[in-house]
Amino acid sequence: MSLLRMLSAWLLFVPLLLAADSPPVRQPQRPADKEYQIPYRLTLAKHIVVRVKINRKGPFNFILDTGAPALFVATKIANRVGVTPDANGWAKLDRFEIEGGLVIPQAHARIETPFQLEGMNGMGLAGMEIHGLIGYQLLANYRMEIDFTRDKMTWVELSYKPSQPLGMGLKSGGQGGLEVLGVVMKGLGGLLGRRSSPEIVVRGFLGMTLDDGDEFPKVHSVLAQGPAGKAGLRPGDVVQRLNDRTVTSVADVLNLARRIPPGGEVRLTIQRGKEITTIRFTAEEGI
Amino acid sequence: MSRRLIMTLLLVVALVGILGADTTPTVSQPVQVPFVLLRSGHMAVEVKLNGKGPYWLIFDTGAPISLINTRVAREAGLARDLPPALLPGLSAAEVKIKTLQVGEQKADNVSAIVMDHPTLQAIGSKLGKRIDGLVGFPFFARFKMTIDYQTKTLTLVPSGYKPPDVLRAMTTALLGGNSRKSLSAAAQWGILVGKEVGDEADGVEVRFVVPGSAAAKAGLKRGDRLLTLDGRWTDSLIDLHEAAARVPAEVATVVRIQRDGKELELTITPVRGF
Repeated sequence: MSLLRMLSAWLLFVPLLLAADSPPVRQPQRPADKEYQIPYRLTLAKHIVVRVKINRKGPFNFILDTGAPALFVATKIANRVGVTPDANGWAKLDRFEIEGGLVIPQAHARIETPFQLEGMNGMGLAGMEIHGLIGYQLLANYRMEIDFTRDKMTWVELSYKPSQPLGMGLKSGGQGGLEVLGVVMKGLGGLLGRRSSPEIVVRGFLGMTLDDGDEFPKVHSVLAQGPAGKAGLRPGDVVQRLNDRTVTSVADVLNLARRIPPGGEVRLTIQRGKEITTIRFTAEEGI
Repeated sequence: MSRRLIMTLLLVVALVGILGADTTPTVSQPVQVPFVLLRSGHMAVEVKLNGKGPYWLIFDTGAPISLINTRVAREAGLARDLPPALLPGLSAAEVKIKTLQVGEQKADNVSAIVMDHPTLQAIGSKLGKRIDGLVGFPFFARFKMTIDYQTKTLTLVPSGYKPPDVLRAMTTALLGGNSRKSLSAAAQWGILVGKEVGDEADGVEVRFVVPGSAAAKAGLKRGDRLLTLDGRWTDSLIDLHEAAARVPAEVATVVRIQRDGKELELTITPVRGF
């Protein structure tokens, strides 16, 4: 294990302790058994991430973490959404919403940035920026079913009152001096020019459907008022080249089309009957 | 069915059975694992490592890999896999646990990191219960798991999911191999959208619904605000593509929109195309 890899491994684990007791939490009365389908993503490092909005701002990426005793919101994010913690580092969030339609009013949160998040974001280990952790205090209100062959989890609201996690009376959650690692890795990530999240390119909209043909793909249908249709593409046209590259299958076309962003130029060399022509148009923003 | 065919099938079943017994001791029925809720708010489960134990580990959905401390790694016969510590106190070694058993459920060849994590030591000493590690993704990802804090049980049923190698993924990330990603819708909807710079409201604006498209047939209109697609927020063009990338053609999908100040849902069935 290389040194860098070994140090990075420390950032993957976010077991946390509470430095201070949570203030008493009043359980809002909500109908039990209500079911939510919560979309999630896996980070590059295989953390389970859900998206949240705090006081209608976001979305932010939070790790689903039974190893954390409470909801942790990074200090930077708390500032951005206008949340100020009390003297013990706790805050009440007016509205905490989890993607999939789950809205939690008056959610208790610790405003704190665990060093692991600092380091992980600095090194780009997750492949996306991580803004916080959802831990026991919030999770305990749901029965959660997680199946990695599906891309959504099922959460069912429970009607009991979970016990409150205890503060451990420790300074900075008992990380035993590891905190310095977060700073080191963040600095190192900066030196290496790392980004917390990759640059994302989306494909532009063309408005056509292709079938594989004998030698070249063939246009199956065209949306007449879509970009390709307005430029004159017609069903039955045989597509030989896309942006000066020969294509022999639908897969070829899709592969090249992935690199055409909205506003990007599209040049299709087509054969219609005996005639070979080039159709030019611009990809649009949409799906 | 011919006698010979039946015999062949029986033989195949028997062989699969033997192979199965050798390679996957995993229980295929749902297994309920009781957990102890520590006062610190963590779930502790009883774990056996290569038949040794039981040890108490924290069941941690936030751990991308399992973690065990040096002491139990040695007891479980993993000591010869441990290299000499490079940095005292910061060492971390990678091992494969032959069988990791949580309650009555098992998985084999589970990757783990051996490290003495100060937070786990702190939990142990504060609560007077020795905590020897974390159960992480390479174990639990193989199961459909249900976590119920009310009954304090964890239910594990094999799902067939094969967790990818986390450490390899991390190495890729460290090499900076993840700086660009391209996203495409998996089907054709016929929705052209936009969002002005400075528009911070939820959703994206529908600028044009292509006549004859799937979205037009479902009644989507220009000027609608597209809020969610298949339960996923569509607050940006990237979000919209991220959501549409997961919906294949011919799957009826609920989209939530805002029209004339009211929220409503439409069902769109996208078609093949792009």
